[in-house]
Amino acid sequence: MHVYEVFVKKDGRDEFRHAGALEAATDELALVLAREGYVRRAEGDRLWVVRRDHVVAADDDFVAPNADKPHRHHDGAAVAARRKAARQSRQ
Amino acid sequence: MARSWATMEDFEAFLDGGGLVEAGDGMPDAYRRAVFAFIEMHANSELMGGLTERDWIPKTPGLRHKMAVLAKTQDEIGHGHLLYMVAADLGVKTRAEMLEDLFAGRSRFHNVFHYRAVTWGDQVAIAFLVDAAALISQQAVFKNCSYGPYKRILRRIIAEEGFHMRLGEDRMMRIAGGTARQRQMFQESLDRWFWPALQLFGPDSKPDDVLLRWNIKSERNEVLRDRWVQKFVPMLQGYGFTIPAPDLRWEAEARRWDVGPIDWAPLERTLAQGGPDSARRIGEAADNWSRTAWVRTALSDGSGS
Repeated sequence: MHVYEVFVKKDGRDEFRHAGALEAATDELALVLAREGYVRRAEGDRLWVVRRDHVVAADDDFVAPNADKPHRHHDGAAVAARRKAARQSRQ
Repeated sequence: MARSWATMEDFEAFLDGGGLVEAGDGMPDAYRRAVFAFIEMHANSELMGGLTERDWIPKTPGLRHKMAVLAKTQDEIGHGHLLYMVAADLGVKTRAEMLEDLFAGRSRFHNVFHYRAVTWGDQVAIAFLVDAAALISQQAVFKNCSYGPYKRILRRIIAEEGFHMRLGEDRMMRIAGGTARQRQMFQESLDRWFWPALQLFGPDSKPDDVLLRWNIKSERNEVLRDRWVQKFVPMLQGYGFTIPAPDLRWEAEARRWDVGPIDWAPLERTLAQGGPDSARRIGEAADNWSRTAWVRTALSDGSGS
């Protein structure tokens, strides 16, 4: 038996979202169990199952450096202030 | 490896800040065991509840309600599947070990499934009172649950339990609008099920309850129990039924119902597998498990797991 991670996507909305996991012997049975367990009432119209041991997961340490890159953001406040100053100086 | 915490103080500070713990985290062992035991009991209860529901498929009156019971049975068994998966990922017991313990009477499930549903009125009372009690408890856990995988799976379980509760109310309204005999049947069921449903919430939470401290539960048992009492006492009375609580009284100043003293001995008996129907229920569940072995074999890859 394998553990499968289940992903569901709503029609026209959102990304595929992780819904949970299940245990199944084959890909085909995993899809059947995912349909009966996770999309019983039209919770989505697209379904992925991925074997857990096939998921390539990054360590937290690998992801963490990108949490500290303020230069990748721009909140626009400085630009807005300059834009306002420019508008006032034209009047 | 994901996150870990050097001390329990660090871990509790993380929880107090609204942190969510994930399956791969190096959580303190005491937390792992507490959250596991809680989810295991929930999973067991879904499975035991689903089996009771299944017993009523052939006996449910009317095609529409029969189909609804089929769907509800599938929902409950499905919830069991989802929860056993979440519990197994905590690495305390495998799913097979959890089921083995359940069928050997070594693990717990909700008190209400230690009683026998004898009449259709009982099924109505269960769907109306017990499903509502379970839903109130689950909503309170979902609101602030610190264990991420459980919180996320509760979202879908709660949505489906909402259907069950409305189904229960629909049934109750039908039986309330029925013949004198039907109303009498439901009153007798209410007499049998009111207290077990109320006791599902458990006795007042202890001040040092780790489930509360670690945000596994977010509200105290007595608060949840009171929410149920304040909703269902007037509702049942409104349909002309009698609440089987001799000391029931309306506190005019506080504007609330007081059901009087609660006898917790029946709850304790069910927790020790000594409820009126515990032995039969556990035996039936175990028999069912062995009778359905061929289905698992057919669905397995031949390794027998």
